[in-house]
Amino acid sequence: MDFEFSDDQLSLRDAVARWVDKGFAFERRHALARAGGHAREVWSELADLGLTALAVPPMHGGMGFGPIEAMVVMEELGRGLVHAPFAAGALMSPALLAGAPEALQAEWLPRIANGEVLVSPALQERAARYRAAHVATRATQDGGSATAWRLQGHKSVVPAGDEADAFIVPARHAGADTDEAGIGLYVVERHAPGVTVRGYPTQDGARAAELVLDGAHATLIEPEGFASMQRALDVGIAAVCAEGTGLMERLLAITVDYMNTRKQFGVPIASFQALRHRVADVKMALELGRSMSYYASMKLAEPAAARRRALSQAKVQLGQSMRTVGQQCIQLHGGIGVTDEYVASHVFKRLTMLEMSGGDTLHHLGEVSAAMQDTAGVFA
Amino acid sequence: MNLQFTDEELAFRAEIRDWVREHLPADISHKVHHALRLSRDDMQRWAKILGGKGWLGWNWPARFGGPGWNAVQRHLFEEECALAGAPRVVPFGPVMVAPVIMAFGSPEQQRRFLPGIASGEVWWSQGYSEPGSGSDLASLKTRAERRGDVYIVNGQKTWTTLGQYGEWIFCLVRTSTEGKPQTGISFLLIDMKSPGVTVRPIVLLDGEPEVNEVWFDHVEVPVENLVGEENKGWTYAKHLLSHERTNIADVNRAKRELERLKRIAKAEGVWNDARFRDQVALLEVEVVALEMMVLRVLSAESSSERGGKNSLDVAGLLKIRGSEIQQRYTELMMLAAGPASLPLVREAMEAGWQGDQALRLLWPGEVPAAAPLAGTYFNYRKTTIYGGSNEVQRNIVAQTVLG
Repeated sequence: MDFEFSDDQLSLRDAVARWVDKGFAFERRHALARAGGHAREVWSELADLGLTALAVPPMHGGMGFGPIEAMVVMEELGRGLVHAPFAAGALMSPALLAGAPEALQAEWLPRIANGEVLVSPALQERAARYRAAHVATRATQDGGSATAWRLQGHKSVVPAGDEADAFIVPARHAGADTDEAGIGLYVVERHAPGVTVRGYPTQDGARAAELVLDGAHATLIEPEGFASMQRALDVGIAAVCAEGTGLMERLLAITVDYMNTRKQFGVPIASFQALRHRVADVKMALELGRSMSYYASMKLAEPAAARRRALSQAKVQLGQSMRTVGQQCIQLHGGIGVTDEYVASHVFKRLTMLEMSGGDTLHHLGEVSAAMQDTAGVFA
Repeated sequence: MNLQFTDEELAFRAEIRDWVREHLPADISHKVHHALRLSRDDMQRWAKILGGKGWLGWNWPARFGGPGWNAVQRHLFEEECALAGAPRVVPFGPVMVAPVIMAFGSPEQQRRFLPGIASGEVWWSQGYSEPGSGSDLASLKTRAERRGDVYIVNGQKTWTTLGQYGEWIFCLVRTSTEGKPQTGISFLLIDMKSPGVTVRPIVLLDGEPEVNEVWFDHVEVPVENLVGEENKGWTYAKHLLSHERTNIADVNRAKRELERLKRIAKAEGVWNDARFRDQVALLEVEVVALEMMVLRVLSAESSSERGGKNSLDVAGLLKIRGSEIQQRYTELMMLAAGPASLPLVREAMEAGWQGDQALRLLWPGEVPAAAPLAGTYFNYRKTTIYGGSNEVQRNIVAQTVLG
């Protein structure tokens, strides 16, 4: 049992932190958000740092790093309030392509690794909320071809949808709308026939899109893709946990600075016990969250049932922590905390949207509740 | 970074598990698993069994006769004992006063007191709080005046846990009123059989006499019972507080009690009620998060024991969260039993109680599992009050964050 980062992991952290310090100050982030949340140029800068290669296997031009390296990067991107779809494009999509035929992997993974393409996972449907097996989008085979398919349906809130080059789309070729069996995974290129994308900014300064598939041309990744999809969703949850940890750390630091500077009644507001106890609660939420972020990333390698349970537990904790830290730190700032010009409100909005990403707190509480064992604890 | 114990640690755990399974008396673990009343004899029997093995001072270094375990090993030992249903070791001797005697006591004091603590023969109590000095402990007024070879002690201590069984008591006493309150305090070891010591049990809200008032009326204490230097007692007491950092979270016991909560919920028919079950699920998440925080501290301590720089100062957070979780599981157990937790039948807390036919209808099964639940819930309100109230802990946490 060891919770220390290796020297390589610390170097990776430093590299991301240096880029944030030099290239992603709040002014730039704020301007990008006001301009609609476009992130493709930031995606390219992350590629220049080599980060988009992180989770891609070496045989496809990547670094083949594991969950801890991903966690380290996500924490720093969180701390930097970076809005690029890094988890979606660089962590989840490679996981979704892991079960693809060799040729398809060779077509996409090297270009993900070098940042040439952004492939966005389009895993959510409007009526499904967070239930992964609820897939109403239908897939039919195109003529006699084994890999060419046509998709019919609608995917919702797709990360950076109108900036992506392609999507990875679960669609059903068999079974009822809620069956785990019969869900295939497909690659759909954005400019393929039958694809309509309606992009929009999101509340947290990023970008997403509705993806309408009307006989959309698609290439099969794997015919039974539910297990891969769940694994990718868990990779996404671990990324949310890590990003949330970085964001919470940033927001607490901002708040501490503010409280030691801002004076009322002739003294710094950091001297008031009613506020100090709120800060203690925020610190608690942060450290519980960080602990569960570590847990999430370290449990990604477990067999599916244990992994799923652990990731849901982690998301419950992070959901609560992110909400507590966000709400309390805004309150501790007073009026300045609810202005658009100040960084704290942007961190708060990102934390809030992360609670609703990858399954919200109530969804995952239900998952934990359904999967409880007789024993309990980290090693149960 | 990884979550796996090493092969050596797993072998160590297996060794502890086997030994505890073989040596923990079944009648004692039965009481612990069902929250039945433990007697002085139960507690001391287990202490002496551990003492015979050299494990009552499980956190002691080898040069004082302890096993010399590292932070992870100590944690594994505590976990195995808790999960097996061992009573919590009464901490005042082996966990609290012994490290102070080791660090600041004279060689003579070490020879005189440590063997009786290590073996479990001598029952120690703690004399810190006073009627007027709770959170503001440094304001304590119990006086010790030097007269030749003795101190004359006058005053009153309170909240002395299990002090009715105590043979010796370590006290913070005032030896000076000069300067800051903290600088006039000394650390004194007092034989509770001394003339002038009076112990009066205080019955708590659950009806049990768990704590006591201890009066000192012109009690003569030989000066050789002063630990370290006069007026340095506050420093020693703070050393004591910093000594056990993860144990205060009591996460191992929380895991055991969460398992018990699930058994009670199943027996009471609320396990399949989503509204109740989600509350258990939430508590389970909280317990896992607390355990992860404890493991992070252990990892940091192991690292610093190996000479690393990694340290993690979250003792206040562990105390706050651990105590909140303890209160929460006692609350959920009581709610699970619902109306069956209302009746107060004090005899039902004794192991082997059979009751009469009507009470057997109220509390069926081999043990009256619902009988102690409300009492435990009431009793556990103490956890956020003692050991530095959670509000004091929040002050400490805020100090580390805000300066």
